[in-house]
Amino acid sequence: MTGLATTLAHALIALGSVIIALLGSIGRLARFALTALGRMVRPPWYPTQLFEQMLVIGYFSLPVVGLTALFTGSALAQQIYIGGSRFNAAATVPAVTVIGIVRELGPVLGGLMVAGRVSSAMAAEIGTMRVTEQIDALTTLRTDPFRYLVGPRIIAAVLVMPLLVLVSNALGVMGGWLLATGRLGFNSAAYLNTTAQFLKADDVISSMVKAAVFGFFIALMGCYHGYHSSGGAAGVGRATTNAVVSAFILILLSNLIITVIVFGS
Amino acid sequence: MTAKIELAGVKKRFGPKVVLNGVDLAIAPGESMVIIGGSGTGKSVMLKCILGLLTPEAGSIRVDGVSVVGLSARALAAHQARFGMLFQGGALFDSLPVWRNISFALSGPAAERRAAAIDNLARVGLGADVADLRPSELSGGMQKRVALARAIAARPEILFFDEPTTGLDPIMADVINNLIRTLVTDLKITALTITHDMASVRKIADSVAMLYEGRIVWHGPRDGIDSADNPFVDQFVHGRADGPIKMQLRKL
Repeated sequence: MTGLATTLAHALIALGSVIIALLGSIGRLARFALTALGRMVRPPWYPTQLFEQMLVIGYFSLPVVGLTALFTGSALAQQIYIGGSRFNAAATVPAVTVIGIVRELGPVLGGLMVAGRVSSAMAAEIGTMRVTEQIDALTTLRTDPFRYLVGPRIIAAVLVMPLLVLVSNALGVMGGWLLATGRLGFNSAAYLNTTAQFLKADDVISSMVKAAVFGFFIALMGCYHGYHSSGGAAGVGRATTNAVVSAFILILLSNLIITVIVFGS
Repeated sequence: MTAKIELAGVKKRFGPKVVLNGVDLAIAPGESMVIIGGSGTGKSVMLKCILGLLTPEAGSIRVDGVSVVGLSARALAAHQARFGMLFQGGALFDSLPVWRNISFALSGPAAERRAAAIDNLARVGLGADVADLRPSELSGGMQKRVALARAIAARPEILFFDEPTTGLDPIMADVINNLIRTLVTDLKITALTITHDMASVRKIADSVAMLYEGRIVWHGPRDGIDSADNPFVDQFVHGRADGPIKMQLRKL
């Protein structure tokens, strides 16, 4: 009995440690996010940094996001056609493709691709600045690292992600259209007409809201893990991995929450 | 005379590791003090506490009689604006050209800031031709000089030098030491240098303090280090393995 009680106590202690560590991490992240948000609304602002980050996050992510959407839209149309043909529902290809792309795959895959590309780069850059004392140097040069490094990245990501996802949605639908008309024998005008019928403004808006939320998490995770990196090159490597993994998880979790809120009823 | 920088009983720990264990130190205005001590004795932590980058758990730090601990964010920024710092690795911003690194803390039109950067480059013996280069295109010695130019660009009241000659060959180290001494004298700056390079100590220092196990174990004029009746200073200055300072070595 004593042995069982001891084992149970150890298990509870271990569980408690995990919960405390988890709550500690959430608290530190929330504090970082609130500090960043609080400081970015007050001057000085750095428009050059903001413009540079919009270019890095938005423009330079276009190829990878665009290709992902194009290929995914084509593959989705093919799968819907195969599945639908079993129930004489092959004609649903344009409708299901546009709903699938705009509501889910466009923003989620776009967010994941940008997270892989941008979160890691932010964590690596800011992490390297941390371990080489460049962030301390910023402070001694009368510059707040939150306003100079974190703020422009978060604002840029929140602003450009919806635009990126709009492009992603358009290319995803185009991918489906290309495959359906080129390979599955769909009439081009009929396909586009059905697509337009099923494309709702609410879907586009929810897609852009998701994108803005994903943009916030992508930049926040990159900056947070980079800012707190330590231990030289290995530490920067860990920060990069953690940034991408945590951004992925937050994107998928927030996507689920937004989907349930918007479409659940 | 009121000390420019005064530390009393400063303690700082990271988890269970006590780094500063009651540091008492006073630096007079215009004085160039050098803190010596082995690696990991808390020299850099002490500098960061004075700058307000780290907060000590106990003790007081005063600059011109004003406490550094507990300052508001705005007051802390104003406090930090009084300092210039040469970081151990230079800490130049990789993404910016040399002139923008040097003029980073300056305001005004770009042409004026560039001219000021070139003027500061001249002070550290570099020509205008390096102004548009990236830090990665410079040698280690040139990076140190550019970092020095950046540290003095805003004409701070107090300059900190963190291991200014680490990683440099002896000749370049002497060039940097001469530059530091000249700048500190010409610009009438209060300077605090941390190093374990005794050549730097002899060149830069007006006074010397030794930090060991988180405390100042000796403090005196530069010329006194060779005759200091202190076994810690004696062992450090002569670089002996035997003595009261024990290296933390693991058994094989």
